[in-house]
Amino acid sequence: MARVKRGVTSHAKHKKVLKAAKGFYGRRKNTIRTAKAAVDRSMQYATRDRRAKKRTIRALWIQRLNAAVREHGMNYSTFMGGLIKAGIEVNRKVLSDIAIREPAAFVTFIEQAKAALKVAA
Amino acid sequence: MKSYADKSYLAKTADVEKKWLIVDAKGLVVGRLASIIAMRLRGKHKPTFTPHIDCGDNIIVINAEKVVFTGNKREDKVYYHHTGYPGGIKERTAEFILDGRFPERVVEKAVERMLPRGPLGRQQLGNLRVYKGEKHPHEAQTPTVLDVAAMNTKNVRAV
Repeated sequence: MARVKRGVTSHAKHKKVLKAAKGFYGRRKNTIRTAKAAVDRSMQYATRDRRAKKRTIRALWIQRLNAAVREHGMNYSTFMGGLIKAGIEVNRKVLSDIAIREPAAFVTFIEQAKAALKVAA
Repeated sequence: MKSYADKSYLAKTADVEKKWLIVDAKGLVVGRLASIIAMRLRGKHKPTFTPHIDCGDNIIVINAEKVVFTGNKREDKVYYHHTGYPGGIKERTAEFILDGRFPERVVEKAVERMLPRGPLGRQQLGNLRVYKGEKHPHEAQTPTVLDVAAMNTKNVRAV
């Protein structure tokens, strides 16, 4: 049977790790020992943050909606309250997208929310 | 063509429209003024707000020495700084700065402390230009007036 030298596989493994460590700070990008630890940790962060991304993006939609709604003299909280009363179930993602790309169409949401609040009051 | 239907909008530096605004600080309450300025410097008043991009406006403040503190803060509010030497902590009151050579630093400091600390925050602070007196060198930008006094009656205080 042919003789297997271990240098080849370990070199391949190291190459893989160092490739993933590109752009890291200091020795973390060159030295296999530190690079391996840094890459392991980076993968943990990536896993965690793929989940966290859903939350931060939703928060961003809300911040944008708040800005868009304040231009019309409301705030986010009363706006959403008004939409619920008006029975409008458009989600925050679509709402903020409409506010950016179709500001004229967004005004109809504002009007409906205001009207629903007036009826309730 | 790739559709944008399932992607949230993220502004690029190129498509941010940066306005020029001018504020007359005469008789305005410092903290209230600073929070309005800080919000606009960050761009949080725009529906296109993007947190990692400088998407705020440029703001010019004139008459910065005529801002107002409520209560006893003009005499009592203390600004600390450190010289770097042992025991080198120094203090100045708001009144001392407002009566000194660079009274505009009161507004600058207030806004600086309301912006996030970091590279982007420093960049956005650079979009703020504060001057004592009526004059400013940005006529060429034709700034539009931002009437802070009209936003809320509490923004103005008689001295």
